[in-house]
Amino acid sequence: MVRSTTVQDQIDARQSLTRGNPLLVVEDLTMHYKTRKGDVSAVDNVSFTLAEGESIGLVGESGCGKTSVALSLLRLLPENGYFKGGHIWLGDTDILELSEKEMNDVRWARISMVFQAAMNALNPVYKVGEQIIEAIDLHWGVGSQEQARQRVAELFEMVGLDPAMMDRYPHEYSGGMRQRAVIAMALAVNPDIIIADEPTTALDVIVQDRILQELSNVQEKLGMSMIYISHDIAVIAEVSDRIGVMYAGRMAEIADAVSIFERPLHPYTYALMSAFPSITGPKHDLVVVPGEPPDLLDPPSGCRFHPRCPNAIERCRQEQPPLEEMEPGHFAACWNPMEVTG
Amino acid sequence: MSDQNGRVLVKAEELTKLFPVETSLLTRADSYIHAVDEVSFEIHEGESLSLVGESGCGKTTTGKLLVRLHEPTSGRILIRDEEGNMEDIAHRKGREMRAFRRRVQMIFQDPFESLNPRRTIFDTVSEPLTVQGIGSLGEREERVANLLERVGLTPASSFLFRFPHELSGGQRQRVAIARALIIDPLFIVADEPTSMLDVSIRTGVMNLMSELADELNVSYLYITHDLAVARYMSQRIAVMYLGKIVEKAETEELLSNPLHPYSKALISAVPVPDPRYEREAIPIKGGISKPIDPEPICRFYDRCPIRTEFCKNNPHPPLEDKGGGHLVACYEV
Repeated sequence: MVRSTTVQDQIDARQSLTRGNPLLVVEDLTMHYKTRKGDVSAVDNVSFTLAEGESIGLVGESGCGKTSVALSLLRLLPENGYFKGGHIWLGDTDILELSEKEMNDVRWARISMVFQAAMNALNPVYKVGEQIIEAIDLHWGVGSQEQARQRVAELFEMVGLDPAMMDRYPHEYSGGMRQRAVIAMALAVNPDIIIADEPTTALDVIVQDRILQELSNVQEKLGMSMIYISHDIAVIAEVSDRIGVMYAGRMAEIADAVSIFERPLHPYTYALMSAFPSITGPKHDLVVVPGEPPDLLDPPSGCRFHPRCPNAIERCRQEQPPLEEMEPGHFAACWNPMEVTG
Repeated sequence: MSDQNGRVLVKAEELTKLFPVETSLLTRADSYIHAVDEVSFEIHEGESLSLVGESGCGKTTTGKLLVRLHEPTSGRILIRDEEGNMEDIAHRKGREMRAFRRRVQMIFQDPFESLNPRRTIFDTVSEPLTVQGIGSLGEREERVANLLERVGLTPASSFLFRFPHELSGGQRQRVAIARALIIDPLFIVADEPTSMLDVSIRTGVMNLMSELADELNVSYLYITHDLAVARYMSQRIAVMYLGKIVEKAETEELLSNPLHPYSKALISAVPVPDPRYEREAIPIKGGISKPIDPEPICRFYDRCPIRTEFCKNNPHPPLEDKGGGHLVACYEV
């Protein structure tokens, strides 16, 4: 298969660094939403790779395209969403080429998802255990009721829920328990990849901490790959091996977690971090990013961040910067990146 | 410390709010949620106090009591009037409230819901002036325009007659701030004003609120679940748990040296935006419950990692000064 340069660079970088083949390769993914006012360019030429057992975090603000990427991976786009270009390679298969029926075998069994609002991800009129058994039945077929319940109990224990809770209804669960149940459901048929879209956003900090811990433990135990999606760079920093920073539908920067924090190259990544308050370390002034994210009905020319960028030069207004490897394994899409200092 | 020099502006004394638990339509409630239970604190002129805690801890109810969107079950709310006297507004009604409403305002969490979608920005921001009968229409317009410029909605002329749906979340929250400030209040209760905003927008709103506090000498009660935001928005932090303040100290002191086991657990659970940072995990048992007719012992007893027999047999511990104004409600500290 012929791959575009940006993603091939990432694959090469990855092979030289980890000697591993990626499990998932997202290549120049472009998707739009049709609206009455025109097309919204929600995801534009996004490329990244995911290795076995790896966790990648996609971080960015509302409307940056991170959730649209997640929905694309499962081909669960809303009715007005459509793919304009690119590939999503799962092994040697481009899942964008699969029929809906073939896609059903990928969904849940190979790629599953922990949804954002755990309140709405469970059907309120069915017992939680029944809903998970249904998911198992769809893919594996339920042998006996006994076996299925056994599997649910196993899953509940894995995510720190009392197996007795499987015969209860969602409203009898607390917010944290519901989120755990949704995780158990995502794990039900041993997927290779789990996408967790803001898995802890609605939860209190102590519960959030436990759930993130739980997710990491399960991931390690089962050797799954994870894609975390969040607006919260602190959460992403906790759970990700590599981090992709998205802005206005494009990948601005992608590298291993430590490099992103130690040497952010894209001015947006730098701004995002300088604007984020922390309870540790010296209390530095929070930097304000001027302006607001662009309207994706009519995105700015060149680099989509240029109207807000302190580093912007003439070229940024004219030409879209490609995602380039600026340091080993560290990719950024910028004509005038931050100074790299020792 | 400057804020301690300022005079006390707002004082809550043993503030309590019980909500009846509805069992059925016809029976009388016989159990109560102790949403806010004998909470006391003071806020000085120009000072900002953060109230932090998890959902259901009573922080929003406390805020609503202070602006009298709820009437307290018991306790006093003292606010300094123009002559400098502390007056108790805990049970004021109707017309008597009008003078008080001039001095105290509230900013809500969701700028998509707190602004009336059918009213222009001018109508919304000038409403407090209209209600209080301040100025002619021309004067109001000028005042609103000046304030819009000040909160960063420039040029004001292009915002005055627009509607909320034409604005972004950050701009709407700036409108809400302008509405709260238009009648020069002394004290603002800000309930999670930035939690719905994106990081790059949030910082601007946080900085704006801090600058305005300095410029106009306004005090805040800043309600938030986010300790990192509290660090930037306030001189002191009070930690709430199930209707009680369990710890209160200067911001940096509380974050670097928490003493109450709950504050310790809470702070240890906050994710740090640095992948190299190793947090010290302080696990606590179980989850937060509802304070329905709670046992008369320490509210944190069930989950406490350092509880003793003494805690089990004594009332909820009082807030005691452990030195330098660091107050903790725990027998074992």
